[in-house]
Amino acid sequence: MISKKVILTGSFGVGKTSLFNQFVYNRFSDKYLTTIGVKVNKKVIEVKGEELSILLWDIAGEVSQDKVPVSYFLGASGVIYVFDLTRPTTFKNIERDIEYLKGLLPNGVTKIVGNKCDLVTPEQITELRKEIEIPFDITTSAKTGENVNELFLKLGEELI
Amino acid sequence: MKAESKKSLEDRMLLEKLREILLERDREELQEVKRLLNDPVEVSKRVSPIFDEKLRYLKDNFPREFGTMVDETIDKRLKSSQEELLNIIYPVLGQMIRKFVSQQFQMLKDSIDYQVKNTFSSRGILGRFRAKLFGVKDSDLMLGELDAPIVQEVYVIQRYSGLLMGSYSKTETIDQDLIAGMLTAIKSFVEDAFQKEREELEMIQYGSFKIIIQNYYKYYIAVAISGSLKERDRDELSEKILTFAQNKLKKDIEFITGEVVESISTELKAFFEEDGTNLSN
Ligand SMILES: Nc1nc2c(ncn2[C@@H]2O[C@H](COP(=O)(O)OP(=O)(O)OP(=O)(O)O)[C@@H](O)[C@H]2O)c(=O)[nH]1
Ligand SMILES: [Mg+2]
Repeated sequence: MISKKVILTGSFGVGKTSLFNQFVYNRFSDKYLTTIGVKVNKKVIEVKGEELSILLWDIAGEVSQDKVPVSYFLGASGVIYVFDLTRPTTFKNIERDIEYLKGLLPNGVTKIVGNKCDLVTPEQITELRKEIEIPFDITTSAKTGENVNELFLKLGEELI
Repeated sequence: MKAESKKSLEDRMLLEKLREILLERDREELQEVKRLLNDPVEVSKRVSPIFDEKLRYLKDNFPREFGTMVDETIDKRLKSSQEELLNIIYPVLGQMIRKFVSQQFQMLKDSIDYQVKNTFSSRGILGRFRAKLFGVKDSDLMLGELDAPIVQEVYVIQRYSGLLMGSYSKTETIDQDLIAGMLTAIKSFVEDAFQKEREELEMIQYGSFKIIIQNYYKYYIAVAISGSLKERDRDELSEKILTFAQNKLKKDIEFITGEVVESISTELKAFFEEDGTNLSN
């Protein structure tokens, strides 16, 4: 068994908590309850025959906003940066945010995630890939569960 | 032949005599030098001024002659062992500051005691008044016994990641990984909110529980206590935690594996159980 801290970050309402709930409890709610501060949860997964205990920090709000304590990010081995495929405002700062996070965590593994893929068509996703300045790693839906486990498994593989 | 040899003997003696006369001064000097060399006091008397002179020169010119070399060496050493250095300094610094603070407190207490003594007589109504106002040792003790502080849980937590490195618990509790994570989040939040340079959260209180936090460079130790904790108990606890940290925790734990957690937990259990968890014992 090995433990790692992973943070979920990105703009308000992109579905961080929903991804977290889908991954940890396999459940989804349409209600939007904004996260206050940070919530920590844990899930043990098996990667390459080894147990990996993921301590997932679901951090509220924007990334480089000075409202979020820097130390929330520190000590993390993995970063999941989530944006909402349906809301351009959630990916307009992506380049700056990723740079900021890489500065804080030079050795961290970063995954850029486009969430709410149940609300867009594959064609739209192709368009977005051209539009967004940084390539994103995966598209997910916290609602249907699409690619949620895959995301964490992939991240886990790179963490071990 | 005989006359010959006699002559040569005479010659030799003469020569010897001559040598003696000529070299006597030298020999005496040699003797003196030998004596001087064998006498440390004399040697130092003669050598010291030279050394002093050289040393003075070095002192005056050291920065110019060796400055950059030393700077570079120190720089290099510092860079390569920064972590190590901090690991060593951190607990010591903490201990020094804590000692200083507790000393200040003791002084304050003493001076209050002194003033109280001088202001109120310890007999009669004034004495009782004083007991009511400030509390006296006896009543303090009685209360203390009813409500002795007990170590319920101990966590060793990696500084920023909030990952649990080891724990001890008197009773089975909820997931300790989560407690460690949330505690770290709260700590980060409070420290950030007050943003006092280098100030760190040291205590959280909830209900009848107190969590005492002791910070080190790479990790911190949190101890949950039930019962009432007096300043003296707290000092004792701090000392105990420090001893544990210094003796039982490796300084360079980067990756937290099951083995790390198990080994630290075992150490914690041994340390806190053998010593008793009741602090007023
Ligand atoms: N259709 C759809 N809705 C989603 C998905 N993920 C999240 N939502 C909805 O989006 C809203 C916001 O989701 P949250 O998970 O609370 O978002 P968050 O990123 O945690 O927001 P903050 O905590 O405020 O930063 C909720 O109403 C969710 O139900 C998704 O994949 N598909
Ligand atoms: Mg949330």
